[in-house]
Amino acid sequence: MLLHTLNAGSSTDSFRDCLRSSQSGDAIVLLGDGVYCALANSAARQALDDCPARLLALASDVFAAGIADRVGDVALIDMDAFVALSEFYPRQLAWY
Amino acid sequence: MSAAEKKRSLVVMRQSPYGGSLARASVDLALAMGAFEQNYDLLFMGAGVLQLVTGQDSQKIGAKNIGRILTSLPLYDMESVYVDAAALDRYGLNEADLVLPVSLLDESGLRSFLNDADHLVGC
Amino acid sequence: MNYTLLVLSSPTSGHSAQTAAKFAHSVIARGHSIERIFFLDEGTTNGSRAAVFPQDEADKLQPWTLLADEHGVELVLCIASALKHGMLDETEADRYARAGATVHPAFIISGLGQLIDAASNSDRLMTFGD
Repeated sequence: MLLHTLNAGSSTDSFRDCLRSSQSGDAIVLLGDGVYCALANSAARQALDDCPARLLALASDVFAAGIADRVGDVALIDMDAFVALSEFYPRQLAWY
Repeated sequence: MSAAEKKRSLVVMRQSPYGGSLARASVDLALAMGAFEQNYDLLFMGAGVLQLVTGQDSQKIGAKNIGRILTSLPLYDMESVYVDAAALDRYGLNEADLVLPVSLLDESGLRSFLNDADHLVGC
Repeated sequence: MNYTLLVLSSPTSGHSAQTAAKFAHSVIARGHSIERIFFLDEGTTNGSRAAVFPQDEADKLQPWTLLADEHGVELVLCIASALKHGMLDETEADRYARAGATVHPAFIISGLGQLIDAASNSDRLMTFGD
């Protein structure tokens, strides 16, 4: 069970390799420029929805980007919830 | 700390050797882990596989030869260096292009391998 | 739980380093402890006492110094990275005959062993890069 933190746009090796490394039981938290991968109807979002990992995004970064009403049903989390996720998942891998 | 309690770390190397300073810093981390007798493995993914390419000659760009440093790591067997096979494909490379003998991981091997370590360091 | 944080980003590239500092404050607020925060590569520039941030932007240094001053969190800059980035404490400034210290006193300069040691004593290792 891995907590993937994705801070990279969808054109990067990081994005592709994050998805390839994710499996059922993992979670992917989008933060920084990674939040744009959640944009509804984008190819990146489709790839994330096809991936069996749980998808979440850091609310502050989604609001900063102005896309809160364009990310559909992604779970938006605050810092406290981010820490709670790190308690649950024993290991984290940072993609950036 | 006893051997039984010793945590196993996996350092995931994803940076090209000379595109930034993080590749060198992560190689230094691997060296330090060896020096401190840590239980660790290296996994090269994405552009990180470019650190392993043979024939690097970085003298003229004023940088230390990352490929050479990697061959000096105190790795006692080929089980210690893992490479995402898809990353080699992406760059048109194969094992003969690399400075070290490596273990290749396919996608499912990669996913289970990432779950074996206690700590992951994503560099 | 006991956490170690590894910060790879500078305070000016994206806001990953700020996220790391906020994460650290939340870790403490949730009743956990922080074994150490280790800054590597460009992350070492978070320790600059000389950087001046515009008044209409957040102070990027204070969240770190608060962790040290109010919660006793150890903030360690990797020595090899710190020197390359001009991050010197009094000792290093003297050793290399530089004009003066550039690192805020809340930070310590030390080797990679400090990261390895902290991680081996921690339940969680969280990396922040961008």
